[in-house]
Amino acid sequence: MRELYTSELEELEALLRDEGQLADRAIRGALNVLERDDLELADELIAFDDEIDSRYLAIEQRIPSLLARQTPVAGELRLVLAILYINLHLERIADYCVTVAKLAKLAHGLPRDRAVLEALEEMGERCREMLGTGLEYFYARDFTDSQALIEMDRPIDRANRKLIDRLIALGPDESQREWAMRMMLASRCLERIGDHAVDIGEQAAYLVRGRFEEFTDASHKPPRATT
Amino acid sequence: MEAIKTKIEVTEKERLPVVGEREAVFEARDLAVYYGHQRAIDGVNLDIYQRLITAIIGPSGCGKSTFLRTLNRMNDLVPTASLTGQLRYRGIDLYGPGVDAVEVRRRVGMVFQKPNPFHSSIYDNVAYGLRILGMKRDLGERVEKALRAAALWDEVKDRLKDSALGLSGGQQQRLCIARAIAVEPEVVLFDEPASALDPISTSAIEDLMHELKRDYTLVIVTHNMQQAARVADMTAFFGLEVNADGSRHGVLVEYDETEKIFTNPSDKRTEGYVTGRFG
Amino acid sequence: MSEPAFTLKATGRLRRRQLVNQGMGALAVGAALLAVSVLAIVVISVGSRGAGSLNLAFFTQNQAQGFNPKGGGVLFAIVGSLVLVGIATLIALPLGVLVAIYVSELAPSRLARIARMALDITNGIPTIVIGIFVFTILVAAHGQSALAGSIALAIIMLPLIARATEEVLLLVPSSQREASLALGVSRWRTTVQVVVPSALGGILTGTTLAIARVAGETAPLLFLTYLGTSSTADANPLHPLQSLTLVIFSYSDQADPAYQSKAWAAAFVLMCFVLFTSLAAKLALARYRKKLGG
Repeated sequence: MRELYTSELEELEALLRDEGQLADRAIRGALNVLERDDLELADELIAFDDEIDSRYLAIEQRIPSLLARQTPVAGELRLVLAILYINLHLERIADYCVTVAKLAKLAHGLPRDRAVLEALEEMGERCREMLGTGLEYFYARDFTDSQALIEMDRPIDRANRKLIDRLIALGPDESQREWAMRMMLASRCLERIGDHAVDIGEQAAYLVRGRFEEFTDASHKPPRATT
Repeated sequence: MEAIKTKIEVTEKERLPVVGEREAVFEARDLAVYYGHQRAIDGVNLDIYQRLITAIIGPSGCGKSTFLRTLNRMNDLVPTASLTGQLRYRGIDLYGPGVDAVEVRRRVGMVFQKPNPFHSSIYDNVAYGLRILGMKRDLGERVEKALRAAALWDEVKDRLKDSALGLSGGQQQRLCIARAIAVEPEVVLFDEPASALDPISTSAIEDLMHELKRDYTLVIVTHNMQQAARVADMTAFFGLEVNADGSRHGVLVEYDETEKIFTNPSDKRTEGYVTGRFG
Repeated sequence: MSEPAFTLKATGRLRRRQLVNQGMGALAVGAALLAVSVLAIVVISVGSRGAGSLNLAFFTQNQAQGFNPKGGGVLFAIVGSLVLVGIATLIALPLGVLVAIYVSELAPSRLARIARMALDITNGIPTIVIGIFVFTILVAAHGQSALAGSIALAIIMLPLIARATEEVLLLVPSSQREASLALGVSRWRTTVQVVVPSALGGILTGTTLAIARVAGETAPLLFLTYLGTSSTADANPLHPLQSLTLVIFSYSDQADPAYQSKAWAAAFVLMCFVLFTSLAAKLALARYRKKLGG
């Protein structure tokens, strides 16, 4: 029944899946750029953003058409709306990766600090985990508890704090300070990537439960761990 | 950690305009239809393209069915009907001298609002047109092919000799579709094809139309604009215009790709109709 | 629960209206009973007088000749009637159906109205006049024959068959015609292959009713075929054959009560045939109408 409609929905989700994988690779790529301080890699990553943008646009164009023509209701309406928002979050994640690459380019040649780089790596990997988990919940339409995602946010916070302490302790050298500023901004980008990953989880919850709830909010303390 | 070297192929299809390189099967130019002195529709200019589904929507009385029936000269059956302007089918003036209405109807088939199978067996219903039009070779195969194309074969293959009136409404309508396509028309016209059916049967008919689109040009009239939105590639909106004496006649207001009509119509009247505000 | 402020029982004007209703109802019932009782009286009186004379010989032998009219039967008359009505049907049925098809399906409306009016008028012509007409054309020149009688009967049957056929043709829904036409089938073939087969049941019942009607015709046959009985065994339509109705007519004119009782018997047989055929036809038509409509 409604085969055309079903295949359109499947196409949308396939595009989103693609985009999700690409976003994950972008995060990994950004971390690589930071790790290796490789200008060529940075340029490749910046160019790579086009791949994600093309899928973003494709989804953006199809959704109004789908809504107008197929009038989805119930679960399918929530699915389409979830795809709409997740699409946006993924695009923003990719943009932040580009920013990290640009920051790395600007910081090229400056003296680096190992601990800071490790902290950034830690943050980035946790982001990838959160992104992967949120998307998994979405694909599986299974959302038993939001705690797991919130829990994953903590290591990012910890790494971030460690990083800031480290940066503050860095030497008086102007080039060191410049590098510290750039890395500060890079960590801010990674933090935002983490936020978007949580948002993706929220969309998955909305899809499954039918209600929209925020897990964490900047203006409120995060809920205490229950275990 | 691997560098990101491979470029990933873009998976999305090129968004070609729906019409592309297709030929126009029907071309209407300044078409107007009168019943006696009463003007039914006027100023119709549009092309209907090959192997697309074209939907005609509009409020009641806007002349949708009237226009549809000009395409296969069924309006000839109404003694007072007359027509001005031009309607061409593959370049031939459909209402020109020497054009035989019966020949036209062989090429342009029609499925009606209420299923109207003949009071005979399922097999004979489909074979009726074939026998009369002299397409009797491999009759059984042709009947099977038509029933398969109408997504009805599996349900009736064991009871072809049973009366057609024993089928459900949705099945009867599919039988009428099979009967129409058995004689291999180029175009199939649908006059409110699912308005007499329940939602599940309606969905089945809509899926069927998508299948048929591969081989036939389809034109459907529907008062259910969501159906047009779901099914059609191109949509024509007929609105009502008031005459000097207070009576009304239908006019073609907008004709465009369905997606455009339902996301961003050019004419305010179209917007008003599809949003359910008036008309 | 408090008492309602009004009552729904009939009072005053309402009561009088009820009484009038009941009175009219009673009158209608009485009229219907009267009509039925007339039929009953006819059937009973003919039956009581005629059934007694029925025996096997009645049906299987011709009238005995000579001075003893007691024996024998009306075999040749029955045969003659069958031939007369049979040939009349053969003439009137196809013609009547064709006329009906033309009038209801193919004719422009003005011509259709004229044709219908002509049929109605023909229906009203006194049958004796029809008989004289056929006599003038056919019998005056060529002599009496069953064929002439059949032609007269066919003229009487034609409007009946045409009317009944037209009625059932109109009952066939136009959606059936449209379906056929939309396939690219011509009007004529649509009529023949879709409309007429659908209407077949009705056509046959209309024909049966027409047969029942002309089976009892006497006046038109008076000059056209053999009046009375003869000893020659014959079924050739070109010869003047006997007819059951004419036999009744001539026998009842005889003085001998043996002939008269035969006349009653023949009348009884004829009446039974007509009653039975009419009833069967009407029941079939009612069922057919229900099938088409439902």
